[in-house]
Amino acid sequence: MRRYVIRRLIQAVVMLFVMSIGLFLLIHAMPGGPDAVLFSPRMTAATRANLRHQYGLDQPLIQQYLSWLKSVLTGNLGFSFASGQPVAAEIGARIPATLELFAVSLSFALVVAILLGVISAVRQYSLTDYSVTVLSYFGIAMPVFFFALIMQEIFGVKLGWLPTCCRTSADTTGFTAFENFQDAVIHLIMPAVVLSFLFIAGWSRYLRSSMLDVVKQDYIRTAKAKGLASRSVFFGHALRNALIPLLTQVAIDVGAVFGGAVITETIFAWPGLGKLFYNSLQARDYPVLLSMLLLGAASVIVFNLLADVLYAVIDPRIRYS
Amino acid sequence: MSTIQSEQSPQAGIGVELTPELLRKRRGQLRIIFDRFIRNKVAVAGLAVLALITLAAIFAPVITHQTATFDPNTATDVYHIASGPIPGHPLGTDYVGRDEVARLLFGARVSLLVGLASMVASIFIGVSVGALAGYYGGWLDNLMMRVTDAFLAIPLYLILFVLAATFTTGSGSASVIGVIVLIAAFSWPATARIVRGEFLGLKEREFLLAARTLGANDFRLMLRHILPNAAGPVIVAATLLVGFNIITESTLSFFNFGVQPPESSWGTMLATSQDYFSEQPLLVLIPGVAILITVLSINLVGDGLRDALDPYMTER
Repeated sequence: MRRYVIRRLIQAVVMLFVMSIGLFLLIHAMPGGPDAVLFSPRMTAATRANLRHQYGLDQPLIQQYLSWLKSVLTGNLGFSFASGQPVAAEIGARIPATLELFAVSLSFALVVAILLGVISAVRQYSLTDYSVTVLSYFGIAMPVFFFALIMQEIFGVKLGWLPTCCRTSADTTGFTAFENFQDAVIHLIMPAVVLSFLFIAGWSRYLRSSMLDVVKQDYIRTAKAKGLASRSVFFGHALRNALIPLLTQVAIDVGAVFGGAVITETIFAWPGLGKLFYNSLQARDYPVLLSMLLLGAASVIVFNLLADVLYAVIDPRIRYS
Repeated sequence: MSTIQSEQSPQAGIGVELTPELLRKRRGQLRIIFDRFIRNKVAVAGLAVLALITLAAIFAPVITHQTATFDPNTATDVYHIASGPIPGHPLGTDYVGRDEVARLLFGARVSLLVGLASMVASIFIGVSVGALAGYYGGWLDNLMMRVTDAFLAIPLYLILFVLAATFTTGSGSASVIGVIVLIAAFSWPATARIVRGEFLGLKEREFLLAARTLGANDFRLMLRHILPNAAGPVIVAATLLVGFNIITESTLSFFNFGVQPPESSWGTMLATSQDYFSEQPLLVLIPGVAILITVLSINLVGDGLRDALDPYMTER
């Protein structure tokens, strides 16, 4: 197991290194280049040369790559064109908002998906089962941004119950601690629900089918034969085993934290990583885009590995060699 | 296995004649799949809806009375702006007075074209990579699968946004081609994995040894012997990919990274009309529901095909 994890980690490092070269070249091959947006047409040639020098853009490509790689390894990730700040600081400032959104929306999705998945597996082919199926089909076929627009229109504009943007109110001066909390909650509800929708649709189907698989197993028959109540067979034996593949899927989906929220965050102006990416794209802030792409890939790879390890840890039948 | 042997046609010199009996069995297999699919009423309904949408898209110029001098997709009725359903405009007009029926039908052409074309390109790449990796194995397999992993690891919308912001800035048809290429370039890895898995399982089978002994080369073995046996999962993946790609295209277009004017897809319709949601909800609902129904139908057909093609559900 340990050797397996070490091998996978070495593989991941090699892959990320190759990807860093690929992504770097890709960004630098883009028309306009990383420096095209830095400069105003009114700059003098001297100012321009000076700026290019400051950002290291006058160096050969290989030198630029190496200094970016060094900044990745030392943890400051280079400097943003737009703000001049280290990219790591820009990203760090956005992480809490995205974590808040992701944590709340994934926990909500997990609870709802387990409920729906269990109900539709226990009552297979019932009206509830069919309703959950229909809902999840709609959930998977519905573009996230369309769902977000409808939610904003109904709950934000027409009913006026929830704010359609941002993480807090524009002016929170004089708010008590409780009012601040209340303010944060009402801002969180809509983006969290929108983000959780796709996960609920996918996960509930997943749990339903893995429940139905587990119920066919011999040890379930044994448990029933022992005379256990069907409730404890379902929740004590079947659900516990059916949850294993779902949890690994959840771990994989958590890995998408860097890219998964870009649509939702942009639509709700949620000041997280996704919005940072979108803003950086509008400003053609290539150092930020480059580092976020690489971190996004790293996060997917790490959480995939974590899912595999988790699987082996909670399911003793799984062995890696 | 009879269907496999009948693939070896007489002109290949392998010597198995396509006897009437073999032909009947071969038809029989398709017949079984077809019968199974037909019995799935939900999938058939999805297929019917899809056929209707496709026909409406193909015959959009006829339905909307397009002539050499009158283009219903761009003609504006300045007396009716965001009107809602009125005589002459059954679904109303948009925010500059264009007929919403025409916008919907001509938008369908672009959305469906992008979905289908990017699926074909994506399946081509995915099948090629998966087939070569699975068939040859060894270092080639290792290399190709690591490349596949790398493509899977990059967050899809981040890379698509970055590349689309640069490469789909051309106007009209150039942007459509750009979107097709981009979506294909990042949607093939899943297919490659499926095909590789199928090839790994099939390449050790006896019928392949038989074909090889009879002198078939690698290319022929892959294309004529293994691929037909892996067709089921590929067909299912291809179907679901069309729906997935339509959603991807609409998302790109919604953020103005996709299809650019004068071309427009359902995604661009949503992008341009979102500010008018309160004023005229139909302008947002019509393209949105069109995407929803189309993708839903595609997914239902895909799942129906999956069940129909599943060899474990075989009945004789």
